[in-house]
Amino acid sequence: MDQTIMSARTFAGPHQRRRGSRHHRRCAALSIAGALAAVSGMAPAGAGSAAVAPYHGGTAHSTGTGYWTPNSARTFPRLVEYPDATGTIAVLNADGPTATRGNPFFTALGTNGRACVTCHQPDDGMSVSVATIRARWRATGGRDPLFAAIDGSNCPSLPQNLRKSHSLLLHHGLFRIARPWPPRDPDGRVITPQFTIQVVRDPTGCNLDPKYGLYSRHPMISVFRRPRPAANLKYVTAVGFTFDPKDGLPLPIDPETGLRMSGNILADARAGTLKAQVLDAMRTHLQVRGNPNPADVAKVIAFESSLYTAQIADRVGGSLTADGATGGPEALATGKPGELNSPQHPQWSEFFAWARKNRARPSATPAERAFRASVLRGIELFTKKTFLVRDSAGLNSMNFGNPVRNTCNFCHNMNRTGMDVAPGQVDIGTTNEPRADPQPGLPLFKLTCAPQFPPQPFLGRVVYTHDPGYALTTGKCADIGKITIQSLRGLAARPPYFSNGSAPTIRAVVDFYNRRYRIGLTEREKRDLTNFLSVL
Amino acid sequence: MNLPRPHDPRKRHGIALIAGAVFASVVPTFANTPTKPPIRAAPVTFVSCPIYRDTDQGPKSGCWLADDYATGVRYDIGQGRTKPQVGRMVLVEGIPAPAPNLCGGAVLKPVHTSPLASTCPAVILPAENFPGRPFVLRLDHVLPPADVVRPLPQGPFANKRWAIEFDYRSDFLAYQYSEVILDAIARYVRASHPIEVRVEGYAATRPYVVSGMRLVEPPQLAEDRADRVARALRRLGVDRKIMRVRSSVNPRPAAIDDGLAQPSLRRVTIRVELARNRPER
Repeated sequence: MDQTIMSARTFAGPHQRRRGSRHHRRCAALSIAGALAAVSGMAPAGAGSAAVAPYHGGTAHSTGTGYWTPNSARTFPRLVEYPDATGTIAVLNADGPTATRGNPFFTALGTNGRACVTCHQPDDGMSVSVATIRARWRATGGRDPLFAAIDGSNCPSLPQNLRKSHSLLLHHGLFRIARPWPPRDPDGRVITPQFTIQVVRDPTGCNLDPKYGLYSRHPMISVFRRPRPAANLKYVTAVGFTFDPKDGLPLPIDPETGLRMSGNILADARAGTLKAQVLDAMRTHLQVRGNPNPADVAKVIAFESSLYTAQIADRVGGSLTADGATGGPEALATGKPGELNSPQHPQWSEFFAWARKNRARPSATPAERAFRASVLRGIELFTKKTFLVRDSAGLNSMNFGNPVRNTCNFCHNMNRTGMDVAPGQVDIGTTNEPRADPQPGLPLFKLTCAPQFPPQPFLGRVVYTHDPGYALTTGKCADIGKITIQSLRGLAARPPYFSNGSAPTIRAVVDFYNRRYRIGLTEREKRDLTNFLSVL
Repeated sequence: MNLPRPHDPRKRHGIALIAGAVFASVVPTFANTPTKPPIRAAPVTFVSCPIYRDTDQGPKSGCWLADDYATGVRYDIGQGRTKPQVGRMVLVEGIPAPAPNLCGGAVLKPVHTSPLASTCPAVILPAENFPGRPFVLRLDHVLPPADVVRPLPQGPFANKRWAIEFDYRSDFLAYQYSEVILDAIARYVRASHPIEVRVEGYAATRPYVVSGMRLVEPPQLAEDRADRVARALRRLGVDRKIMRVRSSVNPRPAAIDDGLAQPSLRRVTIRVELARNRPER
């Protein structure tokens, strides 16, 4: 059965792999074809794209039209679909077709020519994949605003015309995030940190740079992160429960609106609201001078809040909205945000119908049936297979104990997105020594906790990390290395994964968890989980 | 202020209990045989290196064990609200209970466990035929989802007092415990419009020795606990103008319902005052 699945994936035609997974070892030859096709597919606005099998009979939708450049005059349709590594990603614009001309999401508002859409591309599930980034480099000779010196290069002080100055973006899809040191609270007041920070390794040169570094006039820590999808945001901002169990306090309230804040925005939770996030992005990534126009901010929030993205078809498994399944973005648009999985509301029930109807549909191919069965087994593993969660700050440091036996959806517990209903700042080890995978291209910091404060609960008083994460927001030792859990939807369209791009494929994500928590997955279980995650 | 004497397990333990507990802890064949400690056994307090026994009865199952080095008795300490951490010593305060030996130790219930800063070997045992017990979430220990509309408490109202207990040397508001109390207080305040909400933090600042380890909480912790509870109440909508936040050291034990005096010294009391000298409910 599994052999059938692998065969079907391996020998899918190159015309279906316009932006094929370049990291899929089994498909090395095809990935070359995929990359070549990507060049033509990533042409500026208006360029055609490969045909996509229509999975939504009778539903108005458009197929992809390539890279969305700022300041273009196009219409963002109600539903747009693009081929991705394993099938088709869809973006639903719940407010209906939207003219991009004059919409600030699509408008270069700052000085570097970027718009929000530059790094939040529909064909990448509203993030941006390495394949897209490389294609833009090839298409523009590195002159696309995507490669703006401020954060699209390893450091603004490097010669910007050289490919190697953008190596982290081109190889791992990482943008530079410059955090002030010491940290500031939302009102700009200095937070006295509980730890000191030293630069151990600085391959980008930016953390020791006289203008941008830790010892500059305006001290900054440069970390490098993947952009999170600008979609499915009602799930990102949802408040399922009023209490944050990891922080031991009720969730804070936005003084401007009086609404409780979810704590799930951005990898280090530095923005409590979408407004704060948009302002931060406009000032940094777009380099808007002065105070951004409040009307622009409101329009960006309104537009991105109307976007839902999810995989809508699998190349082997077929439509993800057929035979009773409710994958795809429509169900996200109508779904309830912030809902904790429970026996009454089981997680990933979007695909349960396949268990009933898989055998009943005579037209299903053997490969399709096998794939769907694999997805269902993957869901079973994700929600039922327990293992010892151990030494993860944010989880084991609260009163659940260390270790605690649980499943993947212990943390990825929100229905429909797999986010954490509670604020999801957790250290699973992707950025911290010794558990992080080797990443010589990233900086390494040594953090030393002052003796009067509690240490990082499982890494001690001296921590070596590529990215202190949440601690750059709070200044607390206990928060070193914590990264906010993100949505699992649309994964197939936006490799690489984890905040630092350390997992090139979904399979690499599964392998990391299996290694980190000694889950003991068999090869078939790894494939099942990979297949399941690829259809979200 | 008078403090209760620290419990000395060597003096207060019944020999029968020890023998029964030891027997039960080493003979998994009799895993489901209940041990029978004396009715209302004396509390035990000790510091130990916790052991996790990996029994798999679903999410959040698994057993926690700890040996009282003074008596040699292995206890099942897994039924407290804070679970231990392997690799860190733990302060155990509990009362032996006549419960089946499902984990390999005499059951302590109620039990409070506080992870300490001191490190020790991280020990994880296999199940070894012990079944363990599934995690059971008490519904009165969880809040409903945020979007559930709940009616406020109905009057008549009276002055009312609550207490929130903390782990040793901690001001962390434990999950599936504290938030339910805080929510009840905030809703009572919203419904009753009190003239004052008194938040008073305490810390066990009088040193005592357990298992040869000197235990004492810093006076500042009383203030930190009170501040944390006050902050939580503010986030739940209690007006800071009606809150009076104080701290105190060397407290008396609170009126307790679980028979354990020492954990009650690590508390914050919250008193909602509708009017001076009104009787408390």
